[in-house]
Amino acid sequence: MGTCQVQETVGADVMDDIPLIRLVDVTKTYHLESGDFTALDHVSLDIMENDFVAIMGPSGSGKSTMMNQLGILDVPTSGKLYIAGRDVAEMSNLERTHMRRDTIGYIFQKFYLIPLLTAYENVEYPLILKYKKRDTTGKAHILLDEVGIDREMAAHRPNQLSGGQQQRVAIARALVNDPKILLCDEPTGNLDRKTGFQIMDIICGLHSEGKTVILVTHDPKIAEYARRIIRLEDGRVAES
Amino acid sequence: MIKGDIFFDLSVRSVRLNFLRSLLASIGIVIGVVAISSMGMLGTNMQLSVKDQLSSNVNTIIITSDTVKVTSVSGTTTTQSGIDKSELNDIKSAAGQNEVVPIHRTSTQFTIGNTNGRGSIYGLDPNDVSKFLTVDQGTNLKGGNDALVGATIAQNFNIVPGSSIKIGQNCATVTRPVVRISGILVARGISSDNVNADNAIIVSDDWYTTHYGGKDLYDQVNVIVNDVDTINQIEAAIDRKVNRNSQVVRISDASSRLSSISSTLGTITTFIMAIGGISLVVAAVSIFNVMMMSVKERVQEIGILLSIGTEKGEVRRMFLYEALILGIIGAVVGGIMSFIIGYSVVNAMIGSTAYFFRPESLIYIPYGMIIGVVVCVVSGLYPAWAASNMDPIDALRSE
Repeated sequence: MGTCQVQETVGADVMDDIPLIRLVDVTKTYHLESGDFTALDHVSLDIMENDFVAIMGPSGSGKSTMMNQLGILDVPTSGKLYIAGRDVAEMSNLERTHMRRDTIGYIFQKFYLIPLLTAYENVEYPLILKYKKRDTTGKAHILLDEVGIDREMAAHRPNQLSGGQQQRVAIARALVNDPKILLCDEPTGNLDRKTGFQIMDIICGLHSEGKTVILVTHDPKIAEYARRIIRLEDGRVAES
Repeated sequence: MIKGDIFFDLSVRSVRLNFLRSLLASIGIVIGVVAISSMGMLGTNMQLSVKDQLSSNVNTIIITSDTVKVTSVSGTTTTQSGIDKSELNDIKSAAGQNEVVPIHRTSTQFTIGNTNGRGSIYGLDPNDVSKFLTVDQGTNLKGGNDALVGATIAQNFNIVPGSSIKIGQNCATVTRPVVRISGILVARGISSDNVNADNAIIVSDDWYTTHYGGKDLYDQVNVIVNDVDTINQIEAAIDRKVNRNSQVVRISDASSRLSSISSTLGTITTFIMAIGGISLVVAAVSIFNVMMMSVKERVQEIGILLSIGTEKGEVRRMFLYEALILGIIGAVVGGIMSFIIGYSVVNAMIGSTAYFFRPESLIYIPYGMIIGVVVCVVSGLYPAWAASNMDPIDALRSE
């Protein structure tokens, strides 16, 4: 446990030099009543396709802000952020929404499943967003099977599932639109250690299938799964 | 379209989850719909029943003179107003098959026994009486001195057929003509043919012109139309014929008076509906409140939806569906209750439900329902907008 058996994919061999994610001098400043607060301070970073990056750092170091930028939930105050070759700042609101739907899969610490939907519907949901109709391909069921959620469990609402089961459902949801990037924000933070490693094994498997994985954690054991560790301190990259 | 829409499903589940709250909000809409619908139905039923009471003699065209004729006979100038023989003939030819009733009229004092009274006196061709008046006791005009009296006079003066009335100003120096009552007329109430017979004495046209003059000069000509739907054509025909050179006669009918009464009643209906509408405003506030609560409670869920790629419009749609569901529940229940309550109110206040099932009365139920749904959706607009414009990061962070 603790190491990831990375199979280099064919895609990685022929991958061109354009990074999937590129940050150029990205600064994010929040205007607070007590004065301006710089959460990210001139961060430049390249993340290539099929990379597995762990972002570490103490609280307040800018991890969350970084994740919000990478997840296009927010835009930089200055500097450029390119995702899949596109400048995020120049995209319209709707284009950003579509990129979040199609290019990025989110796995959160608190799972963030939609409470009113069943596990199956939670996984089906992004497909409905994309194709504007109920899914008939069975993709959601296939993915739920892959993460170890059976049909009976899939009919339950999130509050009827354990934390580990919820995170499995959340992973299936993140994968259903076949995103290039998986953003994992403390994915094991709310799970016991054993379940946490099971979840990490799934994530690792996805990386070996070609996904680019970005993982925020403060657990060094979890960070060991990554190929590359970026340490943030006071909004700057301390170690890459 | 809506069926199978995940956002509709989400709204349905949200309503079900907060069933009691949603139900209470819908009750506001129910009350609003019931208020508007039953008030509307009440007004319409009132209008319909008044209209029916009035339209019994709505088929009469009233023609009066619009000019003053100046005649000069051997140096003395007299002014007269009325419809003359040639005009009457024009009216008759324009009226075709319909009955034409020329009428003399004036008002007079009279004395019955020792009591004086005042009323109208009409001079009619005895053959015309039965065309629009009904003799209750006694018989129609027969002899030269016969007269009919209206129900009000008959009642006030205790007149029976055979009594006699002195016509004219009670003045000691003049001998007044006396008529003999041959019959008493059925009460007419407010008549729309401008013959207010209840407080009148009806004499033959010969008697009238003998005592008041004005032979072949009539104060009013009524045309009784067989088919009320042709009334406008006949009026136009008379107008073309009689008023061909200048405005000689004024032509009117009860339908215009009827329509003015109807429009007054229509205004009253609108007014009482507006009072009912106030309850819908209250309902709108409660729907707004419930929708805002729903948005506030689901901030994190909205954050999830937005962060994983739900479009703003889709979030808006979800909340508008919720408002729509509340509106439809309220409107359907309100519609059913409007039917029951409306029926009871109409029955209690008008005393008859003869007009309740007419389309123009029942139409207020769908009207009320539509207004209820629209009010609901409009109340949901701001909450839906607020939900869709949340910052996903802030929304996710909220607990």
